[in-house]
Amino acid sequence: MTASESNSLACSRVRVLLEPYSDGALAREDRQQYDALRAHLAGCSDCRLQHEQAISLPFRLRALSSPPPPDSLVAGVMRTIASTRLATRRAWTLLVPEAALATFILWYLSGLEGITSVASGIVGDLLGLAGWSSGSGSLPSIPHADVLLLLALIALTAIAGYHLSILIRLTPAGRTGSGARRAASE
Amino acid sequence: MEAEVALDARLVGGVTAVEAQASTAAQLVGQATGGDLDAFERLMRSLQRRVYGFAYQHLRDSYEAHDLAQEIFVKLYRNLGRYDSTRPFEPWFWKLAANTTINYRRKRIPMPAELSHELAGETQNGQHDPALLQALAQLDPAYRLPILLHYYADLSLEQVSRSLNLSVAAVKSRLHRARAQLRNALAEMDE
Repeated sequence: MTASESNSLACSRVRVLLEPYSDGALAREDRQQYDALRAHLAGCSDCRLQHEQAISLPFRLRALSSPPPPDSLVAGVMRTIASTRLATRRAWTLLVPEAALATFILWYLSGLEGITSVASGIVGDLLGLAGWSSGSGSLPSIPHADVLLLLALIALTAIAGYHLSILIRLTPAGRTGSGARRAASE
Repeated sequence: MEAEVALDARLVGGVTAVEAQASTAAQLVGQATGGDLDAFERLMRSLQRRVYGFAYQHLRDSYEAHDLAQEIFVKLYRNLGRYDSTRPFEPWFWKLAANTTINYRRKRIPMPAELSHELAGETQNGQHDPALLQALAQLDPAYRLPILLHYYADLSLEQVSRSLNLSVAAVKSRLHRARAQLRNALAEMDE
């Protein structure tokens, strides 16, 4: 018996309705078509085969097996996290020398008067050095405090640069895959 | 009647187990957010099988799956602070996993040889459903992701919709099309 003889639904229409029929939507939404499809399936072996495949698909999908996760998965993540935590801690710790150096520099400059005296001192030192190099004067004696200020500025710049490089690496947008891949291959 | 009672008991038992699992996960998330690395490790161990399996079924490459699963967990750790503990953990987590997977695929360099190599290995080992795996591999990622989240990660339609930022109707439609494509591919293989 063919499908057309057994009921009013054509096989092509049945194939379209098999999905909502299998997941129960057709029974809820269109009871008449649901009954017609049931009647069709009873008389059409081809569509019955299609229906069997349709209802077995979710089971087959749920039964798909994957290899077990390798032991290195959790260990690799923990290593990546530990290095992130260390870098975060280091990033915060760097604020201490930065703050100390900045305080020292600010204390030394102590407002506009301090800045102008440092600036005039630097200009005087440079002019003295220029005179010394041309042979028209003696080597200027630079105050120890100015050398300290210069060293503090160099140290602050270096620490701030290092700090910035750590902060860039800690940015969440940074891809972790390459790090994770390295950890996995270790 | 007895069978019905037994079924009810199993269902109640199942629901209780799921609830217990969810409450444990929520507890571990709370501890991990507070900086407890042991709790985070336990949380990861409870999720790793599904996360690795999900990554593997999506990428069909064990090395890439390992890489993606690690990326998902590292992102989880970094984003724990953003998790709203008044909401269920699983949909939030799988949304993060789905986004990481989508971005991972965008950055990934395609390697055409890998698929046939992996599938050939699996067929020889006889561990899987090779026809279905092949059909799944041919599926567009936009359809494969909801299929894996719904059937493999066992998320409800609503959870899938929240994970992928789609309406429930859109998820239903994608699942419907994905199943139809899978059935067609399977039928072609049978012929």
